[in-house]
Amino acid sequence: MNLFLYLDRDSPVHRLDPRTKLFLMLGSFAVAVLFFAPTPLLLLLGVLLVYGALGRALGNLRRIWVLLLSIAAVSIVSWSIFAGGSTPLVWRATREGFLYGIGAAVKIVSMIISGLVFLSTTKTEEIVLGLIRLRVPFQAAFAFSLAIRMVPTIIGTAVTVTEAQRSRGLDTESGGPLARLRTYIPLLVPIFLHTLRNTDQLAKALESRGFGARRERTSLLTIGFQARDVVALALGTMTVGVFVAARFAW
Amino acid sequence: MIRLEDVSFRYRAAKDPALRDVTCHIRPGELVGLLGRSGAGRSTLAATLNGTIPHLVRGDLTGCVRIDGEDIRTKRPRDLADRIGFVFQDFEAQLFSTNVSLEVAFGPENLGVDRAEIARRVERCLGMVRLSHLSHKAPAALSGGQKQRLALASILALEPKILVLDEPTSDLDPAGRRELLDAIRSLRQAGDLTLLMIDPETDEMGWADRLIILDGGRIAMDGSPAALWDRGDELDALGVKGFTLAKLGRHLGLAERWPDAESAAEAIRLGGWQAVAGAAERLRAADGAHHQGEILLEVEDLIHRYPDGTEALGGVSCGIRRGEFVAILGQNGSGKTTLVKHLNGILAPTAGDIRLAGQSLRGQPATVLSRRVGLVFQNPDHQIFAERVWDEVAFGPRLQGLSEADARRRVEEALDAVGLGGLGDMDPFILTKGSRQRVAVASTLATKPEVIILDEPTTGLDYRELQGMMALIQRLNAAGHTIVIITHAMDIAAAYARRVILMQGGRILRDGPTRDVFADEACIGPTGLTPPPVVQVGNRLGIPALTLDELVSGLTRDVGAQGRGGAEASPGPRASDIGPGTARS
Repeated sequence: MNLFLYLDRDSPVHRLDPRTKLFLMLGSFAVAVLFFAPTPLLLLLGVLLVYGALGRALGNLRRIWVLLLSIAAVSIVSWSIFAGGSTPLVWRATREGFLYGIGAAVKIVSMIISGLVFLSTTKTEEIVLGLIRLRVPFQAAFAFSLAIRMVPTIIGTAVTVTEAQRSRGLDTESGGPLARLRTYIPLLVPIFLHTLRNTDQLAKALESRGFGARRERTSLLTIGFQARDVVALALGTMTVGVFVAARFAW
Repeated sequence: MIRLEDVSFRYRAAKDPALRDVTCHIRPGELVGLLGRSGAGRSTLAATLNGTIPHLVRGDLTGCVRIDGEDIRTKRPRDLADRIGFVFQDFEAQLFSTNVSLEVAFGPENLGVDRAEIARRVERCLGMVRLSHLSHKAPAALSGGQKQRLALASILALEPKILVLDEPTSDLDPAGRRELLDAIRSLRQAGDLTLLMIDPETDEMGWADRLIILDGGRIAMDGSPAALWDRGDELDALGVKGFTLAKLGRHLGLAERWPDAESAAEAIRLGGWQAVAGAAERLRAADGAHHQGEILLEVEDLIHRYPDGTEALGGVSCGIRRGEFVAILGQNGSGKTTLVKHLNGILAPTAGDIRLAGQSLRGQPATVLSRRVGLVFQNPDHQIFAERVWDEVAFGPRLQGLSEADARRRVEEALDAVGLGGLGDMDPFILTKGSRQRVAVASTLATKPEVIILDEPTTGLDYRELQGMMALIQRLNAAGHTIVIITHAMDIAAAYARRVILMQGGRILRDGPTRDVFADEACIGPTGLTPPPVVQVGNRLGIPALTLDELVSGLTRDVGAQGRGGAEASPGPRASDIGPGTARS
């Protein structure tokens, strides 16, 4: 089972410079944090879905939809009950809280989808190159890309460890909060130690591949701004501009 | 090329040195196999060669290691990367790029090689390990053998003159192993590469120029495979299994060196040996009737699809009887592990059913089933978490809600059974891999399951540890536990399992008594597995033997030649193959 997000496809979004995609993602984050009402946030979500479809990246949604739905559900239910408001809906939930909850849910989901599209269409090596061009030191940029790569590895370890402990009778699914906290120790210790050992191996492997041997490093991949990047950035800036204007002018 | 003089090394916080006064000289173009029991110092020695020791691993290094006359103390591994390449056992941890080409490019990029040259090297190195067609694949999507070949290519792209391989095949299935060794062989033919390879088995290293066997941090033996060919007893004593075919030759009074089973069988025939009349029948009769116990675990039309749609099991049916000893064989990805994870409820079937003593497992949680079906995972480090061996083993019994007194009895029994009695206060993390594997088995044993399933119980163990582990499993079987093992080690399946289930592509290809399945090489062939050498020789001589003892006792020399009868006529001590001679009598 492949846990990595990058999809090796050819699409207009894949062909964009990594910096362009980084800026577009940051722009979408900015819009997301500006709004609280559901309508503009749903609009943003719509724009992002179109962007994702252009990048042929929406297939990856299949892998995280459970996560997205649960985040949305938790957000909507808890805000409905706890946000307060004057128009009662059912039990302690209010209409204002409900709408706020929808807004909050769409906001988080939009940001996750924006990040997902970025990672699905950009190789980590391209991210590193992009960051270097943005004056981030190579070591730091590479560490960032390794962190992205580590997530799936750690998830894989966590799955195996959980299966191994369940095979010994560990019940990870029931009990009160305190009891569940205790069940995490047999999971966290092996995951942590295994990851530590992996990291040690990785450090040796990196050394043996000459990592850090020269100040000047070359690269097989090349990146550079093209006409399409100009178009994408213009469209992106315009979209963000419209949202910002809508927020403050109207 | 490589020169070690009086090299000693002690890891920080270790009491004893890991290397003691090692002096040796490795010449350009040599292929050296480095062998020894676990803890003998093989990996430590290898780590001194590119400066991992002393630059990345702390400790006291004395003596001198020179590569091309240069002291490694003055160079970090990354500065030696274009001279000495390192391939590690754990191929997962070596690969971190988005696709195969970029993985290979990473090394030359670090050295500042220009772009056009990198592209040329990527193409050439992928060609050398036959991965050119997968250049755009994600490394994670490759098979184990492909991953290790990719790791090799990514080192070759640095164009080193020396290549060190630290147990590169230990985590591979037989086909992956063969693919990697083929790639290394063709490298040898192509250039003047100097190769140092750590491997657990002499049988795998017969093609080396020279074998160095370490023991207790010292060089214990050093010579060509031909020179070490008939020194099996000494090798065995050093925890390294001697050449199997050499042992066979000695029992038959034939001293020449055979490269493979084919030539061994031919030479044995020419030496006047032939199958005893009725040998096959006698062996089959000794197996006794096929196991007749009640069916304990029954798998019916089991289909499993992973969430991403991959079909891991495509309709598997089999029944496992109480008291059986079954080995599940097959390549990586053939569905072995997926199958056994269904047997204790870790995975739920997409379709089909599994019954334990007639009762469907559907709806029964793994937490409850684990008391009846124990599953020991391949890597003990995926489960060990406690600071004391005792607490680790008591984990299962305590979860079952046993009283502290009952739990104590269970733990004591389990530790005694695995040979760790009295070591309950040890910290599991400082034990050897073999002992950690025992702790894992003990922690399953302490829950007293009727069925014990072990996924690759011998991976990473040396010859001695492996024999100990298998003897333990055999004792558990004799004590009434039903045993299922998954293994890539064909000699273990041959020596211990009475029944073999051969899997391929998520289906059962063959299911039957070990003797019958292994005698049918035409059936095994397509799976990429091969029976162990002794079985192959037997098959060519018409004797369905599974161990060296059985093969020797099934052979007789022509009248007129010296002596009569089988094993009685053979000189030397009793055959000591991997399995106990009594395994199936």
